[in-house]
Amino acid sequence: MYAIETKSLTKSFGDLVAVNDVSFSVEKGEIFGFLGPNGAGKSTTMMIFTTLLKPTSGKALIAGFDVMKDAKHVRENIGFVQQETTVDEYLTGRENLLLQAKLNHIPKNEINQRINEVLELIELSDKQHQAVVTYSGGMRKRLDIAGGLLHHPKVLFLDEPTVGLDIQTRRKIWQYIKKIHIEFDMTIFLTTHYMEEADNLCDRIGIIDGGKIQVIDSPQNMKNALGNEIISLVVNNNNNHDSFLAELKKIKFIKKINEEDLKLILFTSNGTEVIPKIFQISSDLEIKITTISLTQPTLDDVFISYTGHEIRDDKSKFNRKIEHAKMKRLRA
Amino acid sequence: MNSIMYDTYTIFWRELKRYKKSRSGVLIRLIQPAIWIIVVGNIFSETQPLIQSVGFEGEYIEFMAPGVIILTAIFTSIFGGVNTLWDRRYGFMNKALTSPISRSAIALGKMSAISLIAALQASLIIGIALAIGVTFPNPLMIIPIMGIVILFSLGFSGISVTLAATAKSQETFWGMINLLGMPLFMLSPALFPLELLPNWLAVIAKLNPVTYTVLLVRELMTGVSEGGIPILISIGVIFAFVIAMVAITSYVFTREVNKPF
Repeated sequence: MYAIETKSLTKSFGDLVAVNDVSFSVEKGEIFGFLGPNGAGKSTTMMIFTTLLKPTSGKALIAGFDVMKDAKHVRENIGFVQQETTVDEYLTGRENLLLQAKLNHIPKNEINQRINEVLELIELSDKQHQAVVTYSGGMRKRLDIAGGLLHHPKVLFLDEPTVGLDIQTRRKIWQYIKKIHIEFDMTIFLTTHYMEEADNLCDRIGIIDGGKIQVIDSPQNMKNALGNEIISLVVNNNNNHDSFLAELKKIKFIKKINEEDLKLILFTSNGTEVIPKIFQISSDLEIKITTISLTQPTLDDVFISYTGHEIRDDKSKFNRKIEHAKMKRLRA
Repeated sequence: MNSIMYDTYTIFWRELKRYKKSRSGVLIRLIQPAIWIIVVGNIFSETQPLIQSVGFEGEYIEFMAPGVIILTAIFTSIFGGVNTLWDRRYGFMNKALTSPISRSAIALGKMSAISLIAALQASLIIGIALAIGVTFPNPLMIIPIMGIVILFSLGFSGISVTLAATAKSQETFWGMINLLGMPLFMLSPALFPLELLPNWLAVIAKLNPVTYTVLLVRELMTGVSEGGIPILISIGVIFAFVIAMVAITSYVFTREVNKPF
């Protein structure tokens, strides 16, 4: 039995397809990350998994229970930490956890011990009796995550766990997530649009873009699949462009070529041998290379290679219709 | 059933915790009813002959004090549901919805907390009434009066929670509340005897649960029966109102929160 299993999961809002025929499964005990830009369908998928949205078609099983037919059992087996911190500011840290424990039907005689256990894990024991108003952003997030684990769910869902936090705090949260994963042996499903986060935490990553999964693999395999090096170069004009590309493709080490105007990105191995060959070809074709660099591939490059665009400045992909539909829902 | 009680209590506990931490709100919410009883009670003191004509012997302020107690209950409970909107906006609702507790329990927990808060506010108004000279022939009557206020507010908070679950913006919610609150108060014998209303208004007033609550509280407080409506009928109407509101609210709330916000 898988921790998460979906078959042709689809969710549309009117004629907009937010999640499009998604099928995959997550093993028990895995940390699985959904990586994609805003509006890619990550949150919608997570809302289906946590029973907040009903899929239009297809199937999703969480811890073996169907999200449509058996929502109650799904809810008993999941923890959900939302993107916004949802702790009650006026209550103390401990009161927040007490509320969470009661919401999740933890037996009365275990509540105190469970709360102490998670407080220690997230290192907030000393601040537990202070109102959350006095907590920093990172502390609130930690408290929120702690609330998600109190009832020892089989699957923990983290929606953009470190969005809006500074770098140090982000790293700290990663440490806690790893610690949780080891101590409770939980399956963790998270969404993120930070490459570093996915790389750091996840056993496997699914890259999602435009509501579709583009690829699923471990971060390492994804990078290896691109060859172990990347050569980026910029030429000064488009003369002989096609024959330049054709010649480059003949170099056996080069696995893939992406073009952006005058910039070429070559996914390759043996980069140091490839570079002299590139210069040979370019001088034969009288093409001037203005800059060239050799780097190790990052998940960013993986992302570009599968989606054809960068994760951050995704303006072309900004879907006015989807945003408009969202606004309408908010206002209605 | 056991679990629905436990879940209701969980939400009730959370709402009361939040109420306790926002002390300034307690006083602010008292200002309006205090103005009613002190200012309006004195302005209309000359109308004593009017209320005497329907068999009420005391001062006007004693006649309208039960009305202001119910006014406090109406407004505390009809505003009380607004945090449902915040909960949906800031994620607490999603947190509750992804936990195993039942949807009805969220609505019922909110309603019972609002009703207790409304009763607390009303008891403070009773204190103000006593301080400005309103007397109780039988002080023990405070106990059943509080019981009635709690019940009535439970029903009324249902209106508020239902509206908040249906409305998706603050503006819609406040618009609806304004549309309902004042007319329900005015179309009742809270300020003037039922007998003095023109016929068509009296008919409307008799469809209003506020009417029966005011009459009941007034009878318990002053001992004067008015409008020719027996106590048992009033109690029956209040119970029916509460049961109907609990059912409607559970149903509408469950249906609405299952839609994406």
